[in-house]
Amino acid sequence: MSEITQKALTTKVGRRSFLKMAAIAGAFGATGAIAGGNVTRAATDEEVKNPYPGSKLVKTICTACSVGCGIIAEVQNGVWVRQEVATDHPISLGGHCCKGADMIDMVRSKVRVKYPMVKEGGAWKRISWDTALDKIAKKLGDLRKTSGPDSAIFLGSAKMSTEQAYYFRKFAAMFGTNNIDHQARI
Amino acid sequence: MANTWGYGAMTNSLGDIQNAKAIIIFGANPAVNHPVGFRHFLMAKERNNAQLIVVDPRFTKTAAKADLFAQIRPGTDIPFMYGMLHIIFKNGWHKKDFIDQRVYGMEDVMKEAKKWTPSLTANVTGVSEDLLIQITRAYAKSTPGTLIWAMGLTQHSIGSSNTRMAPILQLALGNMGEEGGGCNILRGHDNVQGATDMCCLSHTLPGYYGLSAGSWKYFAKSWGVDYEWLAGRFKDKKWMSKKGFTLARWYAGVLAGKAGEDKIHNGGTNLKALFVMGNGITSISQQAKVKEALDALDLIVLADPFVNEAAILTDKKDDVFILPAATQFETSGSVTATNRSAQWRSEVVKPMYESKTDHDIMFELAKRLGFYDQFTKGMLIKENKKSFKFPEDATDEIARIIKTIGLTGWTSKRLKKHQENWHLFDQVSMRGIGPMKGEYYGLPWPCWTESHCGSPVLYDVHRPVKEGGMGFRNRFGLVHDGVSQLAGVGIKDAKVEGGYPEITAKNIEKVLGIKLSEDEKKKIGKNWKVDTSGIIAAKCMEFGIAPYGNAKARAKVWTFPDQIPMHREPLHSPREDLVKKYPTYKDKPNHYRVDTRYASVQNKEDWSKKFPINLVTGRLVNLNGAGVENRASKYLAALTPEMFCDINPNLAANHGIRDGDMMWIHSPEGTKIKVKAHYSYSVGEDRVFIPFHFAGFFQGEDRTGNYPEGTKPYAVGESANTVTNYGYDIITQIPETKGGLCRVEKA
Repeated sequence: MSEITQKALTTKVGRRSFLKMAAIAGAFGATGAIAGGNVTRAATDEEVKNPYPGSKLVKTICTACSVGCGIIAEVQNGVWVRQEVATDHPISLGGHCCKGADMIDMVRSKVRVKYPMVKEGGAWKRISWDTALDKIAKKLGDLRKTSGPDSAIFLGSAKMSTEQAYYFRKFAAMFGTNNIDHQARI
Repeated sequence: MANTWGYGAMTNSLGDIQNAKAIIIFGANPAVNHPVGFRHFLMAKERNNAQLIVVDPRFTKTAAKADLFAQIRPGTDIPFMYGMLHIIFKNGWHKKDFIDQRVYGMEDVMKEAKKWTPSLTANVTGVSEDLLIQITRAYAKSTPGTLIWAMGLTQHSIGSSNTRMAPILQLALGNMGEEGGGCNILRGHDNVQGATDMCCLSHTLPGYYGLSAGSWKYFAKSWGVDYEWLAGRFKDKKWMSKKGFTLARWYAGVLAGKAGEDKIHNGGTNLKALFVMGNGITSISQQAKVKEALDALDLIVLADPFVNEAAILTDKKDDVFILPAATQFETSGSVTATNRSAQWRSEVVKPMYESKTDHDIMFELAKRLGFYDQFTKGMLIKENKKSFKFPEDATDEIARIIKTIGLTGWTSKRLKKHQENWHLFDQVSMRGIGPMKGEYYGLPWPCWTESHCGSPVLYDVHRPVKEGGMGFRNRFGLVHDGVSQLAGVGIKDAKVEGGYPEITAKNIEKVLGIKLSEDEKKKIGKNWKVDTSGIIAAKCMEFGIAPYGNAKARAKVWTFPDQIPMHREPLHSPREDLVKKYPTYKDKPNHYRVDTRYASVQNKEDWSKKFPINLVTGRLVNLNGAGVENRASKYLAALTPEMFCDINPNLAANHGIRDGDMMWIHSPEGTKIKVKAHYSYSVGEDRVFIPFHFAGFFQGEDRTGNYPEGTKPYAVGESANTVTNYGYDIITQIPETKGGLCRVEKA
């Protein structure tokens, strides 16, 4: 091992955590021995070439910045499994920055909001969509009646599609207020 | 910019930058913020040996690629450009013919430019005379030159003057309407252009139609609803035409009435409900006020794929709703790139977990609020359908209604065809080949008819209208101060010579020299902006003219407080001596429903005494916007796991701050943030830089316990906007986050 590699290893992995890792490796090795070495096998050539049989390629556009780079998403059984650059896209020509290269995490990140929630008495509580929408609409409707439509403000987004942004503007109009805006104001 | 020549959008395209012989960048950092777009800049260097000039308060990664770099003092772009114009006019480097034929009011600019000698400019901007002259010469002598900007130019109390000044520089050099030229604003988020075109804005309706009764009537009709019903939804017709609160100052609408808060004009009520869909709450300045406002609201609704950090910042205990919204990969629709090109996104996967698309959430709420039928009717009108398909029918609804920016040609069918044929478009000219021949990629607006090719270079009179040509828009009347506002030059191949007015039902026969049939007279709309019959557009195409007229651009905007751009020091300036010479505006009452302070803040005290350091904010390559999305990515978050401050080692050392130490940044408003010091020579000793993507901490307090279980992002930290200063643009109300002051201290 070269001196540089050794240095990199010792700085990245402290002695204590290295020992822990070694312990885990040992335990894993033992299980492997009991299973008789049949847990893994080498992938076939076909599997290497085509790890997601039956997948389809979907064309979309990066949601990070306004350059509008092409993205090719590989989807298998409704799951986004891989992301590929779009070499034939007339603006990005196969280029991606680090944000674009990780667009797949916009969908599969573990920290996504997974269900509707409401804060009650200072604590987050999971609720159903129907309950959430009923409660929000009731509250908005009541405020509209008691304080007027200008008691609400709607903040839309440069992250919406053009169609959704148009409908967001229409929503505010039909609610009855011009208190509506989005990130172009910053 | 819209006030100069008609539209406020990027005039050329990223690919077209490859045609530039010189590139000057003010307050943008494309190497970091638009990395793949920046490739086209580098291609211009390779292909044309184009000079890359960067004017920025800090030595950015873009500056690292520049041939010439000027480290300007924040908020002094106008003096810098006047300094350039001074040299340009003096040496006769301006394009006289172009100015005579296509520009109004340049004499006033010449008069002001005379004052900005290199020595005065150097004193105000902090850029040496030699460098100013060198930059001016390099830029003016290599045409066509393209001028680039982003938020570094807009986020100032004089931002709307900055964005007129840059066009004036380009007009003086004849760089407009040219391949390789133009004013090229780099938008931030992926669909800033599209969402702005659709006017999720408090002062306009989709397509930049105003809020007048006439506009509302056009939309009521186009949406298939009764105008009186629509008007009845508002407090009254008067309030229907009043601009609303903005994103920058909505908090003032909640806090009004409390001691020391600005007064509001909101129909007799404070704001009580906040409904947010895809908008990081920490992206605006005055976060301490934002927190107070959040705490005081009756209802907060946050619909996002990731937790909007409003939920973390507030101590409100009830009625805070978090709704799981789908990402743009879990729906389909169009997105408008920075160059006005529409791109179609196909649905990659169905919405994950329990999330719903933004439009489904809106539809569900509209049902419960009792206006679902009116809300969705616009999608049924074109083909008299019984049910709609989103987004396709919405795309076609927009194409049917929005004439002002020429979206008639943006049908869902055409946009999808462009997506299918990415490979058939040229990266520089954007021209299609094969089955896409005769169209430009993404049909950059204006795309006047369902067969028009799109307009890749705005205001280009060298190409026929049917190939995307046009003059400047006739938007500001026919005559001002006795001078005709029409252009002195015609559009290539047009059957109408020279300039001409915007086309209306009244003047079409005269301008085109035709007679309309009785049937056409019955069907034609009042003017090109509301003519859904398509007659005006079709006749204009036949005669080779753009429906919006062919006028002069104006250097002078007679409706603005400063008719030509004038330098005014930021509200919080490090140069008290210059504040006296270049003071800010008077306080402005009822600025988007809230009284907004200018002079009273600037004159309150000599801010530079206690807060001598300029505060500059910006982006990092791995994060964007408020950072909510990218901090949810383990890999991107790992690149910058914590909030930091770029500080010059000498400045840091003078405050006893070592590299990696924690430090406080204090604002003139009395707020503070605790961040890690990062030694860097990219900033001088008079300024510090902080990224604006972090949230979760507030004035030293860890609030991350507020994240609902399993939703905490992989990186958290103090929000830069807790310490960005008070101050708003005089026209647009964009916050002055790029020229404030602060004080630093070892933590």
